Amino acid sequence: MSQAAALSRDSRTLVIDGNEAAAWGAALSRPDVVAVYPITPQSSLVEYLAKFIAEGKMDAELMDVEGEHSVLSVLHGACLAGGRTYSATSAQGLAYMFEPYFRTPGLRLPMVVSLVTRDSVTPCCVWGGQQDAMTVKEVGWIQMYCETQQEICDSIPIAYKVAEHADVMLPVNVCHDGNYLSYGVARVDLPEQEVVDAFLGEKNVNWHACLDPERPMAVDPLTGGAGGAGPSMFVRYRKGQCAGMSAALDVIVAAHEDWGRRTGRYWSPLIEEYRMEDAEVALVTIGSMTGAAKDAVDEARLDGRRVGLVKIKTFRPFPAKAIAAALSKVKAIGVVDRAVNFGWNCGPVFQEVLAALYALPVRVPLVSFIGGLAGADITPEHFARSIADTIRLAAGEQVSSPVWLNEFDK
Amino acid sequence: MSIAYDTIAFRSAKCDGCGECMKACAAVKQGTSRISIVPGARDGAFEMALCRQCGDPKCVMVCPAGALSKNAGNGIVDWAADRCVDCLLCTSGCAYGAISADPIGGRVIKCDQCGGDPACVGACPTDALEWGSAGSIYNRFGDKEDMFVPGLAGCQGCNSELIMRHVMRRIGRNSVLATPPGCIPGMGSVGYNGKTGTKVPVFHPLLTNTASMLAGVRRYYDKIGRKDIVVMALAGDGGTVDCGFHAVSGAAERGEKILYICVDNEGYMNTGMQRSGATPYGSWTSTTPVGDKLKGKTQDAKNMPMIMVAHRAAYVATASTAYMEELYDKLDRAIEASFHGFSYLHIYSPCPTGWRVPANKVIEACRLSVESNFVTLWEYTPEAGLRFTRSPDRPVPVVDYARTIGKYRHLDADQLAHIQAKVDEQVALLKRLAGEVSAVSAARAAAPEDSSTSAGAVPPPLRHETFRP
Amino acid sequence: MPEAKYLLVGSSHAALEALRAIRRLDPDGSMAMVTRDGALPYSPTVLPYVMSGRSRPDAVILRDRAFFDEVGCRFVSGVAATGLDTAARSVRLADGTQWRYGRLLVATGAAPAIPPIPGLDTVAFHVLRTLDDAVGLRARMGLARRAVVLGAGLVGLHAAETLAEAGLSVSVIEMRGQVLPGYIDAKASARIEAAFAGHGVKLLLGRTATRVAAQDVGIAVTTDDGRTVEGDLLLVATGVRPVTDWLAGSGVQVERGVLVDGFLRTSAADVWAAGDVAQGLDFASGTRQVLGIIPTAVEQGRIAGFDMAGDAGQKPWVGGLPVNTYRFFGRPAVSVGQAAAGGDGFEVVEQDLPHLYRRIVLAGDRLVGIASVDDPFDAGIMGELIRRRVDLAAVKDAFLADPTAIGRRLMSEQWR
Ligand SMILES: Cc1cc2nc3c(=O)[nH]c(=O)nc-3n(C[C@H](O)[C@H](O)[C@H](O)COP(=O)(O)OP(=O)(O)OC[C@H]3O[C@@H](n4cnc5c(N)ncnc54)[C@H](O)[C@@H]3O)c2cc1C
Ligand code: SF4
Ligand code: SF4
Repeated sequence: MSQAAALSRDSRTLVIDGNEAAAWGAALSRPDVVAVYPITPQSSLVEYLAKFIAEGKMDAELMDVEGEHSVLSVLHGACLAGGRTYSATSAQGLAYMFEPYFRTPGLRLPMVVSLVTRDSVTPCCVWGGQQDAMTVKEVGWIQMYCETQQEICDSIPIAYKVAEHADVMLPVNVCHDGNYLSYGVARVDLPEQEVVDAFLGEKNVNWHACLDPERPMAVDPLTGGAGGAGPSMFVRYRKGQCAGMSAALDVIVAAHEDWGRRTGRYWSPLIEEYRMEDAEVALVTIGSMTGAAKDAVDEARLDGRRVGLVKIKTFRPFPAKAIAAALSKVKAIGVVDRAVNFGWNCGPVFQEVLAALYALPVRVPLVSFIGGLAGADITPEHFARSIADTIRLAAGEQVSSPVWLNEFDK
Repeated sequence: MSIAYDTIAFRSAKCDGCGECMKACAAVKQGTSRISIVPGARDGAFEMALCRQCGDPKCVMVCPAGALSKNAGNGIVDWAADRCVDCLLCTSGCAYGAISADPIGGRVIKCDQCGGDPACVGACPTDALEWGSAGSIYNRFGDKEDMFVPGLAGCQGCNSELIMRHVMRRIGRNSVLATPPGCIPGMGSVGYNGKTGTKVPVFHPLLTNTASMLAGVRRYYDKIGRKDIVVMALAGDGGTVDCGFHAVSGAAERGEKILYICVDNEGYMNTGMQRSGATPYGSWTSTTPVGDKLKGKTQDAKNMPMIMVAHRAAYVATASTAYMEELYDKLDRAIEASFHGFSYLHIYSPCPTGWRVPANKVIEACRLSVESNFVTLWEYTPEAGLRFTRSPDRPVPVVDYARTIGKYRHLDADQLAHIQAKVDEQVALLKRLAGEVSAVSAARAAAPEDSSTSAGAVPPPLRHETFRP
Repeated sequence: MPEAKYLLVGSSHAALEALRAIRRLDPDGSMAMVTRDGALPYSPTVLPYVMSGRSRPDAVILRDRAFFDEVGCRFVSGVAATGLDTAARSVRLADGTQWRYGRLLVATGAAPAIPPIPGLDTVAFHVLRTLDDAVGLRARMGLARRAVVLGAGLVGLHAAETLAEAGLSVSVIEMRGQVLPGYIDAKASARIEAAFAGHGVKLLLGRTATRVAAQDVGIAVTTDDGRTVEGDLLLVATGVRPVTDWLAGSGVQVERGVLVDGFLRTSAADVWAAGDVAQGLDFASGTRQVLGIIPTAVEQGRIAGFDMAGDAGQKPWVGGLPVNTYRFFGRPAVSVGQAAAGGDGFEVVEQDLPHLYRRIVLAGDRLVGIASVDDPFDAGIMGELIRRRVDLAAVKDAFLADPTAIGRRLMSEQWR
């Protein structure tokens, strides 16, 4: 403990990339077991972890295993034994770990795994995009998307606080965009170790299900079948997962507030509303694209257009009420995605926002923008065009959706 | 608990009728041999008559003079010469011809096991007679707690259930047990609908991640100083050699301190008897059926224990329930090794349902598999190398084993020849390995300090950039 | 009134095996064994050796006091049962006590049958069934020079041998034309007769004793051919009869012995009978017979015990098989099953060699009986072959040539 604390004191402010910020966020959360397997663009993150452990800055068991399937599997074991656990992955790694990944929320294991989001093959590609995270949004993990290096670092302790909350007991993916955030360098103020320790308090990750000779139990007995107690038991498991997800909304808000009080950094827990007070049209964004989008909003405001922005931080559980409320007064909405929803053939965030707005008494027109695939830039120009399209939509013009922002980039 | 005793077992398949046992017995008893070997039904087959030191001996019951008694200490049915009145009634009680009138002295004679060191066993050149200490195993473990519920839903005669119960009885409560999908949880190890079937912490890993989950459990307990827990798996062959192979291999390579027991029933028996990588050549399975075009599996089985040797696991051994003393010895060593590194125990487990073996012939099948070298029993440590724990010499033909197994019923002469050749090749390889390993350590010991070919040299680490398309 | 869940009357083979069986299934149920004899349990079979001095009376005891304490069975000796009231579930003893029982085993065995020979009631004679008899005979034997034995059955011959070995001049009077009638065939008995004759025993076969009279010294027995045999000692060994007198009026059905079914149950509820007192299934004939041998007594005792303790898995008894082993003047003779049978439906193969005699009786390639003199065989295996009705067609010649080797082989195959 003292070593990590000492280190964090002599370099309180660092200029580091998002992967290192994540590694610091993890280190400060003091996981007992860390499992790693490299994958672009996550690799440097796990290298940092290995380095911290090698240098004695972090007191965790390092399990450098033979693949992501085992990454999550060893963490399942460690968590059921009572340990706090951490890892990170991307794209193909996530696909490969899917089998234990699906199981994690079912076992109600409160682990934190960073997703360094990346587009998934095929076509072959190792660059940023959110297709990986978006593809697993229904699996039952909490998903939080970060905008900056500082938010990454801070969100990991917050994620543990949420995951391990007795009303939640669900795993959390802290997502940050591959390339832009993973390799982009920025100033990060490290929180004091004592502050993080006090914030997290005592861990208790296996009070509900454990593998401990002192508390013998069968973890995950077979349930289900055509009749009797089995299927109803299964239903209660599933309802329980949903209850954890619903409870998480309040817990996430409370955790962010608590973090703000202790560190002075108040991050928007569910969504952030930017210049929405009088907005007539709004963009909806997620992740690191938000910075450029805010610039474009500011530009448009200078031109006298009443544009606002809603950034989604917590995507699972989906903050449907907050989104509906934030967007209830605008005339048109443009949702910018970095992934594709095949079948609906639009952006996945778009699809979710659409569903959330059904609660409104009025019908607001929406357009889906898909950009930033395969590491492409979404520049302020791209956002300016999106704003223009959304304004046209508000005016009653037809806009064909989705709009593929980088389709004609040179 | 009543106690059990050591016995002399007879393997008729190995007996060649040489009569050495009878000579040895006659010599130590200075009279007529107490063991008698008689010609069997087939040419070259032999049968045996010898006192079985019955638990409920009829000879004792009918003796009017109180001259016979079951010795509670060693289990031997003792004959008191001074009480005996030579009435021969005892010979009418015994169904084995094991107490009989001595044609020389006229008094009755019977085996007394030479006080625990039977001369006949020592004299048998073919291992047809065995001094079985299965009884002492029962004495040592019979009283220990059974870790499973009484009503496991295994098939009649299930060998895996036998393995589970024996193993966990030995290991006890200070353990964490993984039973990946298959017959073992299928019969209820993890229980159903919230009710457990086991007294130790138990879980279903995924079929694919048993070794990894255990590695995580162990690492955490090691970290917090609870190092005495046995962290272990009772896993089927499918999850071990096929889809969970990566996890086993990875854990072995990293030297994770776990005890991995593979209960090899040569296929996916629980899901309906499909083939696995461990299914032997020629086997009928539901995915290698027998018809006009196909005649069972066309590939040989993957040899998982050898693969574990190639990983230089801390301990690797094969075992069979036909040889429980050995199994327990190996279990002891495997448990011990699991506190230092990856410990792998491969137990062959005939499946009465999937192999089409009568429930009462399962142990017989186990025994024949070993006697024919279809299954070889050995153990390995990186320090001592590989050694056979039962001699592979003088095997019975593999066809004798195949004949007892329904899933081989269709095999033609060519297929049987293939299996025999494969078995011979396997034994030859193992023998070479048993020799070579010691040769290597000898060479290493002898190698001069500056030898450029030193087997012990550590290659410089290479850094691999990982690019995953 | 003393009571026991299990009351065993008699303390010999049948009762002891019943005790063992009951305790297998019911370690705690209250139990008592009541016996007329004053001694601890022993076997009547061993008495000739007590008589001869080979076995000391205290060395033939089959169970000691500690045994009864250990298994939790009260041992009440020296007092005979004199009545049974099945309605009240009680047994009356000679000393007036009444024992209440839950389940009762009648194992009072057999006692010597005393033939109605005129004058026999006026003389002192011996029988051999109890330890006291044997000890008494041994004492008397030392004072006598001439002995007369009535009956050449098992008991008579054993006693005759002992008396002869002790130097007495012995005469045996037997009504039938051979010794051991009913057990073995004439050729076998001829060899045994020769052994007796060789040791100076006079065998008066085919003679009936018609009168016994006291002499100044000893007795004189007159036979139907008008001759008289004199002796200082008279032993009556003309057979036994089941001890059933104490059951009179109890309603328990008695014919020659107590009638029992396949589970050794008598006609009365909660009353079983086993051993020499019982008349149960005979394997060969399928009728109910009194067999009077130890193998039957122990087998019956065992089944009765299990049934008394409520063993649900119990199979009914297949029936008793005559099994006899003898050794007279050092020469062994063994017979199992219908060893003396012959005629229609039987195939008899005899080996009548100077140094041995063997007789094998088959019916439809299945062994039904076997006997030998001077060639002991595995009686237990032969009994199994008979009881299991093992088809010997495939090995018949080999079996006839060497029954021991083939028998051992077949059993080894069966039991592996
Ligand atoms: C000299 C001799 C030689 C024999 N040789 C052989 C032989 O070689 N092979 C063979 O198989 N068999 C032989 N037998 C027969 C064998 O001994 C009996 O078959 C066997 O003992 C029967 O046992 P049992 O328990 O039925 O009764 P028994 O042995 O007759 O015992 C009866 C028991 O009941 C008790 N009893 C009797 N009446 C009463 C009563 N009213 N109340 C209470 N207790 C009572 C007695 O004290 C005794 O304990 C021989 C018998 C004798 C006498
Ligand atoms: S002599 Fe026969 S009956 Fe007696 S203990 Fe040995 S095998 Fe059993
Ligand atoms: S021969 Fe000896 S040991 Fe066998 S029954 Fe007779 S007295 Fe007992």
